[in-house]
Amino acid sequence: MASVQFKGIVKKFKDNLVLNGVDVDIKDHEFVVIVGPSGCGKTTLLRMLAGLEDITGGDILIDGLRVNELHPSKRQIAMVFQDYALYPHMTVEENMSFALRLRKTDKAEIGARVDEAANILQLQKFLKRMPKQLSGGQRQRVAIGRAIVRKPKVFLFDEPLSNLDAKLREEMRVEIAKLYQRLNATIIYVTHDQVEAMTLAGRIVIMNHGIIQQVGSPIEVYRKPANLFVAGFIGSPTMNFMHGKLALDGEHLRFSSGDIKLTIPPYLLHDPKKHDGREVTVGVRPDDVLVGRTADGCSDKVDGVLEVCELLGHRENLYIKVGETRLLATVEAFFDRSPGSAVQVCFNYKNMHVFDKVTEKRISE
Amino acid sequence: MDILRSIYEVTGFIVLIALGVAALEGYFYYHFKFHDRSWFFPAALLAFPALALAVSAAVTGGFQPRLWSWFLMAELLVLAGFKYAVKGRHTVPYLLLAPAFVGLALLLVYPFVFEVYLSFHDLKLTTIMMWKNTGKIPFAGLDQYVKVFTTSPLSEVSFWALLGRTLLWTFSNVFFHVAGGFALALLLNNAIRFKGFYRTLLVIPWAMPQVVAVLAMRGEFHSQNGFVNIILSKLTAAFPFLASMGIGPVQWLSDYPLLTCTIINVWLGIPFMMVVILGGLQSISSSYYDAADIDGASYFQKLRFITLPLIKPVLMPAVTLGTVWTFNNINVIYLVTGQAGGTEQADILVSALYKAAFTYNRYSYSAAFAIVVFALLFFISVTYLHGFDAAKEER
Repeated sequence: MASVQFKGIVKKFKDNLVLNGVDVDIKDHEFVVIVGPSGCGKTTLLRMLAGLEDITGGDILIDGLRVNELHPSKRQIAMVFQDYALYPHMTVEENMSFALRLRKTDKAEIGARVDEAANILQLQKFLKRMPKQLSGGQRQRVAIGRAIVRKPKVFLFDEPLSNLDAKLREEMRVEIAKLYQRLNATIIYVTHDQVEAMTLAGRIVIMNHGIIQQVGSPIEVYRKPANLFVAGFIGSPTMNFMHGKLALDGEHLRFSSGDIKLTIPPYLLHDPKKHDGREVTVGVRPDDVLVGRTADGCSDKVDGVLEVCELLGHRENLYIKVGETRLLATVEAFFDRSPGSAVQVCFNYKNMHVFDKVTEKRISE
Repeated sequence: MDILRSIYEVTGFIVLIALGVAALEGYFYYHFKFHDRSWFFPAALLAFPALALAVSAAVTGGFQPRLWSWFLMAELLVLAGFKYAVKGRHTVPYLLLAPAFVGLALLLVYPFVFEVYLSFHDLKLTTIMMWKNTGKIPFAGLDQYVKVFTTSPLSEVSFWALLGRTLLWTFSNVFFHVAGGFALALLLNNAIRFKGFYRTLLVIPWAMPQVVAVLAMRGEFHSQNGFVNIILSKLTAAFPFLASMGIGPVQWLSDYPLLTCTIINVWLGIPFMMVVILGGLQSISSSYYDAADIDGASYFQKLRFITLPLIKPVLMPAVTLGTVWTFNNINVIYLVTGQAGGTEQADILVSALYKAAFTYNRYSYSAAFAIVVFALLFFISVTYLHGFDAAKEER
């Protein structure tokens, strides 16, 4: 197993800047998920690590060795592709052993490794089948098996679950988590799905527009998003944002955004005087929007109108309009009010986030 | 006014065809409408032949027993077809397809049946007047088929020599078509500048009418004024060591006719294979190559283990077609060597067949010959297609 370092990686496709100075250190045995919206450069970064794309600037190191010019097969990595890329004219066994056969590994060794991988992934029954005779989940397992057989230093996964249906995706997510525990390998996993990122990762790298927005453990990026983009990207349903202005009112900072007027407690923003008159965006997760009985004890209540209720089973999504602002609250089922009725809303200050409107950076603690 | 007259004649011909199709449609329409009624069978057998009798009498001015009996047989055939095949369902599609069926029957089935008939009789220059006067040809049984394998269709070359030459010709042509097409397709599949321009240039030999292309190339192989010999003589003048290796201008058309034909036909056939293979290459997902790169395959290993197996489904039908076309390619051979006392050294089966029929006037013999060639090609195609199916099963 090995560590991986990206140092100031730049990638240009002609004049189009795709990656702009990416620096990440990935430690040995670490499961790192690179997440971001489509077009953010995450797959390009992975393909550069695999050696499938040229590097415009910067260095990539695997185990301390600079691999910029090294051929993909010499980098001791294995990659699982989004569309699996199983060779359609070869059986499962031939697919898994292809790399070893090219390297002229001896036959007994190939057989042993294929059997081992097939055991781990429960593919023994399918070894003689063609890829087209397998279901999506089975193909996915073969693609992973093909990677395992090579005993690489680093596993690369490029959106491996995005071609599967929702239920299978959940199952395979658990499979991959189990596989990680078993192999204890360095894994770099690219996805656009923040749920996969949150559930699988040891550390998450969040990217947008070719720049790393935040690197941290799942709980860090969830609790303390570094900027507006991360706050909006991580967490489902999406965080509520209110745009407004801070003003000093005696000892306390007051936030006002249309009809919403809140007192910002000092544990969120130290040194209130510094922030007087600042334009900010306040973010609150739907779970921290309190409505109905839970809002009874609050001090700063705002009046809103319930627009739509969505029952999810044990939870319920409430879409509430406060003045010009729309808020989403997620509450315990059942919230017994009909759409159109007036409700009182307040916020859980402990989990409130304040961002500067111009820099979009987090300014609250 | 000549131009008015030709317009009048062309229009008349078109109207005649339209009327013929309309009559045919009307004829079938009544069959489709009433074929399941109990009275229709005898009525049709009386009414339609009677109508045909009247029409033919009006047109030709007399009773034509042969024509009429042919029509009666056709009517019986059609009635039988309706009774046992159509059975009331999907009548409209059959009705609309009927003229095409009749057209195909006239253009394909009738000549083929007549060919088989000829091959069992003896029609040649000495019996053709007898056929014209009495309508009878001497029956020959299997004699013509025996002759195909024992006598020469031309003045000297035997059937077996021709067959060997044809197989050599077919194999070498198809081999170079595929090899050349594959190489060019691989080049064009890269990201290169002016790709569309190169592709257009490379397709030109295929897009040109074959006769024009072949005759133009034939000129280039002329011993004194052809491009090939001029280049060769300039080369040997500039690099004398080439001449010492035996390279120099040669009499292409008279000394190496088959080689000349092969070179011309390779040039003509490469674009088709190139286009087909390029299509196949472009349909291969690039992620297979990415995966192969990571697995450590070299360029030739990728070609061998990824590209070739994945273009096989498009390559196999193209090779089958190419084989049949080359086997049957009379154009190139005839246009390069066959006109007016040309050589026999380049003749393949079909060009010998053409000469046997229309230069030596051995009609029945060439009919039998044609059927043998047909059987050969049929066998080749079925074998190829069988191989293709097996390849498909494998995937």
